[in-house]
Amino acid sequence: MRLLLIEDYRPLQQSLTKGLRETGFAVDTTRDGQEGLWYAMSNDYDVIILDLMLPGMDGLSLLKKLRAEGKQNHVLILTAKDTLEDRVAGLDLGADDYLVKPFSFEELLARVRALLRRSYREKNPEIKIQHLRIDLTTQRVWHGRDEIRLTPREYALLEYLAMRAGQTVSRTDIWEHVYEFKSTASSNVVDVYIGYLRKKIEQPGKPPLIYTVRGRGYMLGPKA
Amino acid sequence: MMRSLRTRLLFGIICGMLLLLLTFSLIVYTVIHRALLNQYDASLASVAGILAASVEIDENKIELESDVQQMPEFLRTDRPTYYELWRSDGTVALRSPLLSADDLVHLEGSINALVFAMSQDKNSRPLRAVGMKFIPRSANTDDKEQPQLMQEQAITLVVAGDATGLQRQLGLLRWLLLGASGVTTALSVFIAAVVVRQGLNPLNSIAGEIAAIKEDDLTVRVGTTSVPSEIAPIKNRLNDLLSRLENAFTRERRFTCDVAHELRTPLTGIRSTIEVALRRARNTAEYQTVLSDCLTIIESMQTMVNNLLMIARLDACQVAFRRVQIHLAELVNSRWHPFSGKAVEHRIAFENRVPNDVTVNSDPENFSMVLSNLLDNAVEYTNDAGQIWVTARHTDDSIELTVANTGCQLTSGQVAQVFDCFWRSDSSRTGTGTHCGLGLPLVQRLVRALGGSAAAEVQPGGVFTIRLTLPASAPCNGQKNPEIKRP
Repeated sequence: MRLLLIEDYRPLQQSLTKGLRETGFAVDTTRDGQEGLWYAMSNDYDVIILDLMLPGMDGLSLLKKLRAEGKQNHVLILTAKDTLEDRVAGLDLGADDYLVKPFSFEELLARVRALLRRSYREKNPEIKIQHLRIDLTTQRVWHGRDEIRLTPREYALLEYLAMRAGQTVSRTDIWEHVYEFKSTASSNVVDVYIGYLRKKIEQPGKPPLIYTVRGRGYMLGPKA
Repeated sequence: MMRSLRTRLLFGIICGMLLLLLTFSLIVYTVIHRALLNQYDASLASVAGILAASVEIDENKIELESDVQQMPEFLRTDRPTYYELWRSDGTVALRSPLLSADDLVHLEGSINALVFAMSQDKNSRPLRAVGMKFIPRSANTDDKEQPQLMQEQAITLVVAGDATGLQRQLGLLRWLLLGASGVTTALSVFIAAVVVRQGLNPLNSIAGEIAAIKEDDLTVRVGTTSVPSEIAPIKNRLNDLLSRLENAFTRERRFTCDVAHELRTPLTGIRSTIEVALRRARNTAEYQTVLSDCLTIIESMQTMVNNLLMIARLDACQVAFRRVQIHLAELVNSRWHPFSGKAVEHRIAFENRVPNDVTVNSDPENFSMVLSNLLDNAVEYTNDAGQIWVTARHTDDSIELTVANTGCQLTSGQVAQVFDCFWRSDSSRTGTGTHCGLGLPLVQRLVRALGGSAAAEVQPGGVFTIRLTLPASAPCNGQKNPEIKRP
């Protein structure tokens, strides 16, 4: 899942980016409002984490422009302002959630995950595909009773496919939702990771979980 | 001491009213009393005149003409008139028959003068008496002998009339006046009470409005409806006070919010840095980075808290200052030293143009803090490859110090706000971390406390200048005593 973090306070920006990346999210980040808007307009982020007081352009103006341009991304506002008026103003302008500083990193993660499930209309924090079980909260994957160890990038890829299970997902979609803006683009990096994933989650002699749809992309088998 | 305005007004009005009524009644009574008495005295005097004219002396025998004796006044028993005549030796010569053996009051004046007095008869009936001394006609002598009669034969006549009617009239008049005064007083108490209550109504309604003001809503103003001109000044002062209170409360609330906000952001930084670090086991180098990141944040929070504390102390006048002669150019150089590294990094040129002979009489620690803050601010906001310069000059009785830097993008409207706490040109309040928007407000307060003033301006070409005007010598009260503790 790909997130955009727009936060101007450097220590917070650095720690959140690090924490989110370690959790398996692809995170693009900026400290400037104008730049943040440009990022948001040019990519399809699953969740945008937005601070309100930003240089360049304040968070609420950014949100207004984003919505005016028809962007439907889920937006989570981070701010030190906690009056009722501030919250209402943010939510009325089209924010999906509001988190007041200082917050716990776990709460931020939980809220981001909730927004992601809303993005993919998935209310259950556990997804089952045949014998495969994916716990979206703990980010652990099981095959029957055996836990499968995945790297963060592999997990992110599986989670994205699982969220859209039963649908054909293009390589571009995967690229846009799993990889960061600054990642070095490579035409077959998606195929390489799909290969790694197949090796870990599919078992010989059983029907495949990931199908290749020729010329269009990949599809994770329908949900159990 | 009467506390109530209403009681005081009522008491004043009623006392005044009573005093006026009594004075007025007394005057009326005196005038009417005198008029009635004069009238009565006149009639008594005329009777006395007739009697005197009818007295004859014949061979030491004093007689009254018989038709005078028969006058009805002297004979009737109700409202009788008495008379009595005395010889000069004090013996009674004649008395009216109604008196039988009683005497009237012996009123004796000089010849032909009338003397009036009140007296009583044997029945304690009030009498008004008039006395006159005269020389009676001689029945059978010539006019020539008259002078010889003068002294020995002078007769005192007293005529007394029943004064019951007069007394009753006067009594009636007294009661009338007293009654009228009483009724008027009672009525005036009632009217005054009503009028005073009506008159004080605006006060009551203002008191009600004031009582209704809640401490969480100071936007209300009293006396929005029309108030009497006497209360208008109180209303206006009160509303002024409310405005000032409202402003102070708003400022205070905003300041508290700002402080909370400014502390929240770095706290979040520390918290998420630590939380993210604790999510998994890391190597020593990573932990060291986390700890040093947190330390940096804590240092900037500490600076902010120190600045806030300094501002609060300056606002409460709790900072002690001493005065010494400071060589300005040297101090500028020493204060610049900590920033020179950053300036080199950003290719900023620094120029100390302070003449060598300029000294400032000021507090060394606090004045150094002023300079450090100004230079820090300048380095922070100067454009890369820009310029910073410090100048100073003597004016009439002060020293003008300027710190200027290039690369300013503030409008003149924004420049007016640079001394406001937590104000930053950008909507971002946390952008630089170390600069929390307290440096210049602290400078302004410090300079003010040191007896000077600070002003900011932006010139075309993006040159931002802070101009300090400092007293050239210590204020009079500071010369003798180097420790100035402001009250």
